[in-house]
Amino acid sequence: MPLFRPKEYFRVATVGEAVSLLKRFGGAAAILAGGTDLLVAKPPHVEYIVDISRLPLNYIKKGARGVRIGALATLNDIAASPELREEPYDVIARSTWDMGTPLTKNFATIGGNICNAAPSADMPPSLIALDAEARIIGPRGKRRVFLEDFFIGPKKSVLKRGELLAEIFVPRAPANTKAVFLKKGRTSEDIAQVNVAVRLTVDDGLCKAARIVLGAVAPTPIRAKAAERMLEGKGLKEISQIMVDVARKAAEETKPISDVRAPAEYRRSVAEVLTKRALLNLMERFGGA
Amino acid sequence: MVGKGQKMIRVTLNVNGRDYVVEVKPHWTLLHVLRDQLGLTGVKYGCGTGECGACTVLIDGKPMTSCLVLAASADGRKIVTIEGIADKGKLHPIQEAFIEAGAIQCGYCTPGMILTAKALLEKNPNPTEEEVRRAIDGNLCRCTGYVKIVKAILEAAKKMKA
Ligand SMILES: Cc1cc2nc3c(=O)[nH]c(=O)nc-3n(C[C@H](O)[C@H](O)[C@H](O)COP(=O)(O)OP(=O)(O)OC[C@H]3O[C@@H](n4cnc5c(N)ncnc54)[C@H](O)[C@@H]3O)c2cc1C
Ligand code: FES
Ligand code: FES
Repeated sequence: MPLFRPKEYFRVATVGEAVSLLKRFGGAAAILAGGTDLLVAKPPHVEYIVDISRLPLNYIKKGARGVRIGALATLNDIAASPELREEPYDVIARSTWDMGTPLTKNFATIGGNICNAAPSADMPPSLIALDAEARIIGPRGKRRVFLEDFFIGPKKSVLKRGELLAEIFVPRAPANTKAVFLKKGRTSEDIAQVNVAVRLTVDDGLCKAARIVLGAVAPTPIRAKAAERMLEGKGLKEISQIMVDVARKAAEETKPISDVRAPAEYRRSVAEVLTKRALLNLMERFGGA
Repeated sequence: MVGKGQKMIRVTLNVNGRDYVVEVKPHWTLLHVLRDQLGLTGVKYGCGTGECGACTVLIDGKPMTSCLVLAASADGRKIVTIEGIADKGKLHPIQEAFIEAGAIQCGYCTPGMILTAKALLEKNPNPTEEEVRRAIDGNLCRCTGYVKIVKAILEAAKKMKA
């Protein structure tokens, strides 16, 4: 069996240096951030390691337009960040709670969780629910992609040769926006069998915007758009009445597979239950239940 | 050929207050180098995949699983292993508390458990039982059932304040 035996290790001091190495080595290179995915997977095809862990991308900053989270912010930094206490950004911190262990979260990064592109990853759903955007740097400069469009399949993202994820930008949410993240795994530390983030923006008692984002039930995290549409324009009372149907619709929009962690039917029914619980949680917090 | 043509990297690891200059291969983990190059066998190998905490060391004061840290990447970092916490032959209060509470059976989890506890007590000298349990969430013990470990850490907190 081929082993993980990279020929060379590079620690970069600038993003530019990282980009030029990544461009030069293409698929033979692997970015190392925290390493908690890379050094478990130990992919044998990797010949060059580009260690980005010392780049100045470990920050969480709140400004007038939104929150910027550097790709190297660790999961424990995110969990403890004062910038992520306020609604609805608290859902980002909440998403880290049941991820891995306190030891791995001291160096596992948000960028690694996203770029690893596991369908079950715990950070993407809440970020997608908040319309977050991935800020990418590559050989041809910077570009932005909605995180919703960042994933193209299991372990596959839109990142091209030479590109890296530099930052996640979470736009300032409209007033009266709340979000919730729920995860079902075998144990809380285990990879999700299903995870879900739901976000509602309410104005004058009416739902102005809804996001239902489900993970581990399709090749990428997905938005349950038909279920979202059932919520938009409805009053809180009405939402409480149709919650069960909305959750069923969301589950219908999933395309789960069966694997070692859970059979497809189980994932679909858990998707329904978690969506329902998430809506219930939001209704209580909005005072509409 | 596997392993051939790998370029060695020269790194300086500050371990328990002393600088070691070592040549490492790109895939060597910090765990491997501490045990096999530096002979610090208090650091244990359990799972190699970040799940058991037997390999816990402190890196710049924070507990991390050294099986998932590349040695090359730890260049210049301050590392503390279980060998480095006694003070001139006198056990650290957490070590004493573990012995007194009977929190050690086979001892395999103990180095990692104690280092995690040390980081916790430095950040939070007055933890609740719940906070102790949460802090050691990533350190598995197959022997004790955790009750005595939690007790030892709470006792150590008292000793360290005294
Ligand atoms: C015991 C354990 C439990 C875990 N539990 C969970 C869990 O419950 N939920 C969960 O979602 N995950 C879990 N994980 C997975 C992992 O810890 C997270 O995905 C983590 O956030 C990965 O970050 P990292 O910095 O360690 O990634 P790395 O391993 O450094 O990188 C992961 C991948 O992304 C690429 N990459 C990293 N950063 C960038 C960047 N800035 N730009 C482009 N590419 C990049 C790397 O090349 C690599 O392919 C667990 C892991 C372990 C070991
Ligand atoms: S050996 Fe590192 S966590 Fe188990
Ligand atoms: S004492 Fe044996 S594993 Fe903890």
